[in-house]
Amino acid sequence: MIDLNMTLVAQILNFLILVALLRAFCYKPVVRLLKARQDRIAESLNKADADAAEADKLLASYKAKLAEANKKAEAIVSRAQAQAEQEHEAKIQETNAQIAQMKKEAAEQIANDRARAVEKLKGEMVALSLAAAGKIIARNLDKDDNAQLIDEFVNELDKDKIGDVSC
Amino acid sequence: MHEIGVREVVQFAGFTFNWETLCMTWLTMAVVLLIAFLATRNLKMVPSGWQNVVEIIVTSLQAQIETTMGKKGLFLAPFIISLFMFLLVSNWLGLFPTLASPTNDLNTTLGLALLVIVMVHTLGLKMKGGHYIAHFFQPTPVFVVINAIEEVAKPITLSFRLFGNILAGEILIIILLKLMPIWMPIPSVIWLAFSIFIGGVQAFIFTMLSMAYFASAVGGADEEEGK
Repeated sequence: MIDLNMTLVAQILNFLILVALLRAFCYKPVVRLLKARQDRIAESLNKADADAAEADKLLASYKAKLAEANKKAEAIVSRAQAQAEQEHEAKIQETNAQIAQMKKEAAEQIANDRARAVEKLKGEMVALSLAAAGKIIARNLDKDDNAQLIDEFVNELDKDKIGDVSC
Repeated sequence: MHEIGVREVVQFAGFTFNWETLCMTWLTMAVVLLIAFLATRNLKMVPSGWQNVVEIIVTSLQAQIETTMGKKGLFLAPFIISLFMFLLVSNWLGLFPTLASPTNDLNTTLGLALLVIVMVHTLGLKMKGGHYIAHFFQPTPVFVVINAIEEVAKPITLSFRLFGNILAGEILIIILLKLMPIWMPIPSVIWLAFSIFIGGVQAFIFTMLSMAYFASAVGGADEEEGK
């Protein structure tokens, strides 16, 4: 029953062949696959980390840009406001100046008109005076008549009194 | 094994071979290769079904090897997986009628045990060098006798344990079938179930002890080098 012979060597060889076959066709592919998967997971994780970092950076840059844009917009608005105010002020001043100018012109015109009126009045007065003088001369009046005529004339003058013109 | 204790032998190139053992060994190898092929074909990056089981076996075995022997023990993983699968299929093969276990032949078990022991000593010498020889003389040189007996006992116990268990199981199956009338199959069925259990346990023990021997020879090499 316990008879050792060359079967022992044959069995060792058989088993070594089995080990070699299993190792080559079954064990190696599994190990290779495990390694490949490990590599791939590590790669994916690294990539995910890199992507997250990239996204953070992008977000930060966008935030910075947004803040900058906000600041610019504010500056533009405030500048526009300042400009509008300035223009408003300028317009008011211009209007004021125009009003003043118009006032001055009106005053001048009034003065001119008055001067012209006075001139005209003076002329009429002279004409009247001449007429009165002519009348007096033509009638050749006595003293009483003369005095009476002058009174009449002066009264006539008073009737059409001209303001406070100094003449 | 049709008649207990008698083996068919063939003569080839002046050597004697146990023909049945060889045939059963080749059958076992074929079955093991078929199982392994079916388990590992169609491997995918995203595992599913049997691939998960295969990966668990491989990764857990690699983890155990790494803790007991370190990284350089990893090349032993396919050897250990093959050893376990070969022994398991061998032990269970004899439970089929008209088939026999290759492990009911001492040639097989002693061959495997010697292979393991030779590998253990070779690896020990290669990886630890002088320290490996020195450890036989620990703690005092007198212990070399005890250590030598232990080293000789290793392959003998390893091979005879497996051989005895399997041979006894098969002999008892034959005896039970002859003793019991055909209408009384219960003892045979119970013994068959027990033999299945024994086959698994013996394959496991043989593999675990081999791993332990490997671990004691290869493991700890890092610390020894660090001294």
